Amino acid sequence: MALVPGLITAEAEPEADAQALTALVDWCVRFSPAVAADRPDGLFLDISGVAHLWGGEGELLADFRARLAANGLPFRLAIADTPGAAWALAHHGRDGTIAPPNGQGELLAHLPPAALRLDPEAAAQIERLGLRRLGQLMEIPRAPLGRRFGAATLDRLDQALGRTAEALAFRRPATPWVDRLAFFEPISAPEDMARVTEDVTAKLCARLEAESQGGRRFEVAFHRVDGKAPAIAVGLSLPGRDARRIARLLQPKLETVDPGFGVESVTIAAYAVEPVGGRQVRIEAGLEAAVEDGLAPLVDRLANRLGPCAVWRAAPFESHVPELSATRTPALGAPPPQAQPWNREAPRPVRLFRRPEPLEQVVALLPDDPPIQFRWRGRLHRVQRAEGPERIGEEWWKGDIADASITHVRDYYRVEDAEGGRFWLFRAGLYGGGDAPKWWLHGLFG
Amino acid sequence: MTRYAELQATSNFSFLRGASHPWELVTGADALGLEAVGICDRNSLAGVVRAWRQMRDLQKGGSRVRALTGCRLDFADGTPSLLVYPSDREAYGRLTALLTAGQRRAEKGGCELHWEDLLLHAEGQLVLVVPPERLDQAFEGDLRRIRGELPDVWLAAARRYGARDLQRLARLDALAQASAIPMAATNDVLYHGPERRPLQDVLTCIRETCTIHEAGLRLAANAERHLKPASEMARLFARFPGAVERSAEIAERIGFDLGQLQYEYPDEPVPAGKTAIQHLRDLSWAGAEWRYPKGVPDKVRKLVAHELDLIEKLDYPNYFLTVHDIVQWARSQDILCQGRGSAANSCVCYCLGVTAVDPTQPDQDLLFSRFISENRDEPPDIDVDFEHARREEVMQYVYRRYGRHRAAIVATVIHYRPRMAIRQVGKALGLTEDITAALANTVWGSYGDDVPDEHIRQTGLDPAAPEIRRATTLAQQLLGFPRHLSQHVGGYVLTKRRLDETVPIGNAAMEDRTFIEWDKDDIDALKLMKVDVLALGMLTALKKSFDLLPPRPDASRITDIAHIPQGDPEVYEMLCHADSVGVFQVESRAQMSMLPRLKPRKFYDLVIEVAIVRPGPIQGDMVHPYLKRRDGREAVSYPRPGPDYPQDEMEAILGKTLGVPLFQEQAMRVAIVGAEFSDDDADGLRRSMATFRNVGTVGNYGLKFVEGMARRGYDREFAERCFKQIEGFGSYGFPESHAISFAILVYASAWVKRHHPDAFLASLLNSQPMGFYQPAQLVRDAREHGVEVRPPDVMFSHWDCTIEAKDDPRERLRPVRLGLRQIKGFKEDDAKALVAAREAGADSIEAFARRARLSRRALELLAEADAFRSLGFPRREALWAVKGLAGEWGAETHAPLLLRQSLKEAQVELPFMSQPQHVAEDYRTTSLSLKDHPVRFFREELARQKVVPCSALKTVRDRRRLAVGGLVLVRQRPGTAKGVVFMTLEDETGIANIVVWRDAFEANRRLVMTSAFLIVHGQVQKEGEVIHVVAERFTDLSGRLSELREDQGQIAAHSKVTGRLIRSRDFH
Repeated sequence: MALVPGLITAEAEPEADAQALTALVDWCVRFSPAVAADRPDGLFLDISGVAHLWGGEGELLADFRARLAANGLPFRLAIADTPGAAWALAHHGRDGTIAPPNGQGELLAHLPPAALRLDPEAAAQIERLGLRRLGQLMEIPRAPLGRRFGAATLDRLDQALGRTAEALAFRRPATPWVDRLAFFEPISAPEDMARVTEDVTAKLCARLEAESQGGRRFEVAFHRVDGKAPAIAVGLSLPGRDARRIARLLQPKLETVDPGFGVESVTIAAYAVEPVGGRQVRIEAGLEAAVEDGLAPLVDRLANRLGPCAVWRAAPFESHVPELSATRTPALGAPPPQAQPWNREAPRPVRLFRRPEPLEQVVALLPDDPPIQFRWRGRLHRVQRAEGPERIGEEWWKGDIADASITHVRDYYRVEDAEGGRFWLFRAGLYGGGDAPKWWLHGLFG
Repeated sequence: MTRYAELQATSNFSFLRGASHPWELVTGADALGLEAVGICDRNSLAGVVRAWRQMRDLQKGGSRVRALTGCRLDFADGTPSLLVYPSDREAYGRLTALLTAGQRRAEKGGCELHWEDLLLHAEGQLVLVVPPERLDQAFEGDLRRIRGELPDVWLAAARRYGARDLQRLARLDALAQASAIPMAATNDVLYHGPERRPLQDVLTCIRETCTIHEAGLRLAANAERHLKPASEMARLFARFPGAVERSAEIAERIGFDLGQLQYEYPDEPVPAGKTAIQHLRDLSWAGAEWRYPKGVPDKVRKLVAHELDLIEKLDYPNYFLTVHDIVQWARSQDILCQGRGSAANSCVCYCLGVTAVDPTQPDQDLLFSRFISENRDEPPDIDVDFEHARREEVMQYVYRRYGRHRAAIVATVIHYRPRMAIRQVGKALGLTEDITAALANTVWGSYGDDVPDEHIRQTGLDPAAPEIRRATTLAQQLLGFPRHLSQHVGGYVLTKRRLDETVPIGNAAMEDRTFIEWDKDDIDALKLMKVDVLALGMLTALKKSFDLLPPRPDASRITDIAHIPQGDPEVYEMLCHADSVGVFQVESRAQMSMLPRLKPRKFYDLVIEVAIVRPGPIQGDMVHPYLKRRDGREAVSYPRPGPDYPQDEMEAILGKTLGVPLFQEQAMRVAIVGAEFSDDDADGLRRSMATFRNVGTVGNYGLKFVEGMARRGYDREFAERCFKQIEGFGSYGFPESHAISFAILVYASAWVKRHHPDAFLASLLNSQPMGFYQPAQLVRDAREHGVEVRPPDVMFSHWDCTIEAKDDPRERLRPVRLGLRQIKGFKEDDAKALVAAREAGADSIEAFARRARLSRRALELLAEADAFRSLGFPRREALWAVKGLAGEWGAETHAPLLLRQSLKEAQVELPFMSQPQHVAEDYRTTSLSLKDHPVRFFREELARQKVVPCSALKTVRDRRRLAVGGLVLVRQRPGTAKGVVFMTLEDETGIANIVVWRDAFEANRRLVMTSAFLIVHGQVQKEGEVIHVVAERFTDLSGRLSELREDQGQIAAHSKVTGRLIRSRDFH
């Protein structure tokens, strides 16, 4: 950091990297069904018999290159007869090399020993013997070489040159949760759109049902004749697979879909898929479960119609300052982590005013006894019982530190007046420090 | 008037909880008129001495406040926390024993206590129960249990301004009544004043590893946990009469004071039937006979007698005896050692063999003018340095001699330094990693205690932005807070009675190591016995060089530093020319450029040389005045006070240094004599200088100092300069007494270098790592002095570097054979096996493999280091042969290699290895090459670029513009040099010293900090023999170094096997 002060650093995340590589492997299936990850940062594609689909190896490579580049991934590519040779050329040769059939030997001759996927120590030692190119290494008699650097080195050499075969562990991509309906004739009528939405949803949900899974988010795309594919999506507060309910949530959004000259096919994808136990309606179904089941569709309908920010629930938030001790959490999406409940030792009123209301004619003993009387909204209240003060300091980290002061406090009192009304009021500031303290009413108990 | 004592104060030694220093709590309590304040840190007594020291200082000023020694015990078994105050010395011993038991059970820094532990140590303890958050049934049960077992118990009640305070207090009161445990008021203090609440919140965040925005209810709701005056406490507890006074009554019952611990010196070294001073007298006179076999000179006789009387008067004989005992043992084991410190430079210490300063030598007698007498009230201070390779043996001896129950290492308090403070505060305030890193980087190294606004602006941040201001303000407050305790490098505390009855002892991170909770200052303040057993690399090197020296003409051998002939003009001549590579202390770049200016001609000059190149004199701007006066360019004059005062008072203090204060002692004397500092002021000044503890308080003394001197009629400017220097000492004080001991080693090592560069080289290489230079530079320097250096070789080398027989007896010097230790990664055991095999007749690769049972890895390392050459196997061929031995047999666990000599193998022709390739491999395997210098291979090209060799710098004119190139050996960015970077380049002809000014550095930051091979374009600057090149531009050639590895005439292959040829030593 001292070298390049502006350097942006990021934590190494090997697991995330591995996941990303796996995702890339899955994505590569579009080029070849046989893809193998070469951890930590490479992958092999077996393109035997598929290159012609692109019009040749060069074209395949070009397409691959364009798509990787479009995704912003840095890469080095090479094509050769053997995985070993392709690896060597990609890592140590010129990027984009295509070795002609049986031509890898000549290309490899110029590469360093490290191109053989040897462990770095062995590769360095081979170089130290002056054998800095594979060409030199190939000329050394095999027996002495094998004795010194092991059969593994000879194997690697043979694999690269195609003298022995190498087995790769190809990955089978996971079945994604997608489904598709295609039509003989393009459709565009709103009723048709609604029906196919229902159908395709039912199709996917049937599969989810069969595998005891549910999704939190569903996305339906309408593939138009002109190649565009407008999509609509809905989110659920609980993972679900009730086709009718999901379709009903999707319906209102269909208006936004412009079918253009017609829709050829429709696809649906489910996201955040997780196992959901078969939800049977039990005879002795608890009230709670029923509420939850009943509430979720309502929240879903409201949120999908009004927007996810318009529907929220309040949750406790850890702060000593009363008006900051509740926070809005989205009604949709994951339920909030079990937040700390409010502190029992610090009682809070049932109703907290959005803005504290000023009090007048407050009489209290100095410096911090509870008030004896106060006037609120024109009425005088005589205090019969009181508890406090509970002293709450400012959140000093929200302002300039030079302005922070020990007199920036509120002393809260719980008081009961002669009529039995219970109030939560506070004095802002301390007597004897700077500005005269002011009294406020902040809430009502019961 | 209510009386009150705060019995529950948590200091910042409850790490990340308390937000005030112990001394702040004591000062705060005094200011509020409290009777006492009890420091109760969690399972620790680490802060109590500091509080006690503050109390002592305040009491000298007439204060009556008491700092009580107590502890908050947190239990592992659910027992409520207790505040424990020992009522007398014996109870205190039980408390420390209790804490020791708890700490020994836990990991470093932890403490695991159970109720039963307390019961074993409960006698004489006054105990307050800290009620938990919930006053439930369990707590009632606990109270009953505690009441049943402990005689003196109270219930600590605090008002925290919570919503239901009074309810809670009423409940506590009821519990107190029911369980007959009276309630006593405390305020559960976390800081001395309410303004510390933000810092305390930040500490909470650091502790909980969260940001302030996430901390929520983990933070305190208000700022009430500060010290409060008795009247306020009385108001808060108005409904509970007696609770407040009760605290003062408890305080009154505490009869223990840390002052009761002092002078518990061990008496091991005194034989039965003798008093300590008798024994010391006997030893000293016997030592005098040993030092002066031809008769003890009168001068020595007088000095020793005088010093012994002083020692007796001040009651220090045990101290000297203890040091002597350790030194004597080291001597018996042939371990070289030397004492330093104020008391070390005494005639008695010379006679006892602790130091090598001979008072009869001309020019060394100057040193005895001061002795412990000046240091009134403090225990004498002797640090003893031992050979670094053998110090562990000495430490083990100390443990054996005094037992682990009476000897332990003292602690070092690790304080928050600027970088760490800003980093952690920034993180707690939720600043991003980038911003905190940028802020932290505005402080280079460990110097600055401040983050100036200007630096912040440079990083592109706005110092006035609230987020930044918050972070810097709070980081400033956090500076100097203790962070954790660590073990001191070698300071031992020794006691007469069990140590764990004096101070808690905890586990160190290292296995089987323990250390006490107090640091050196604490030990000094309590007048406990402390001995420093330190390690010094140069002593190892000197010892090894003595072993390699040939016998002297009179057949005697040098075995001790005192045997080295003094006052050798050739040695001084060499130093005057800055020919000091490898010499102790004066080998650094800064010292080297000082030597030709200072031109040391006698021993005391070396003392000054050592002390002058230090932040103190440099920041105090004392260097140039001194040099001018020395050269006679400026008249020596002494500042004089007004006519009413003795006119020569400064001359008496500053005479040795020509009127310029250079040493810490002088600065202190100036304060006492010139500025009329009282003993306490001087003591306070010294202590505030010594640690970061009182950041800012040094400044308070500044005014007093300057005013004091002005009052006596001194020049204000002189006073200010003096004080600036004192501030400089603050970070790195360098006293004369230490400079003297170091100067002895400077002279000794310079003498060996001058007369025996062969032995000097071998011993330095055998003592690595140490010193300023790498083996390559040491070898180069020795070769320039005519030493033949031979490469490591299986047929000749040992593990260590050795001296070989001269080929030609007329040669003055003997050749040095590099040892196998030079080969990176090669193990000492393998070397021993190899030598044994060689002595048994092994003379081929196969034989070494078989007889020495060397692993394949070891053989490969030898081959790669070209150590089989004398057997006819150059590097590549040797590696091929060694690899062949291994065969298909793989597991190294079977140690010896199967030999398949019978197996006929096809002949293999390996490519030719060029000289540059050899040199590059030499550097890779041994960090140096005797074959050639890497830069030579680039000379032609450098010449084309008009780069001159480094050796040419001696002859070029001053101010000429030119370019030099070479490998970067050293990079330094000293804190005193205001952003200047010093670099040292080396080519095949010599070295060049480069100065990079701030602008040039900032413009080429990355290059300057990382480049390994560099051309510097700049201007020559000469001052006498000191030559610098002031850099203007750079050309980075680091990438070209890998060309050395290329086969000649071939295009570079795309290879990933690179790596750095050399690694510079960087000092930031």
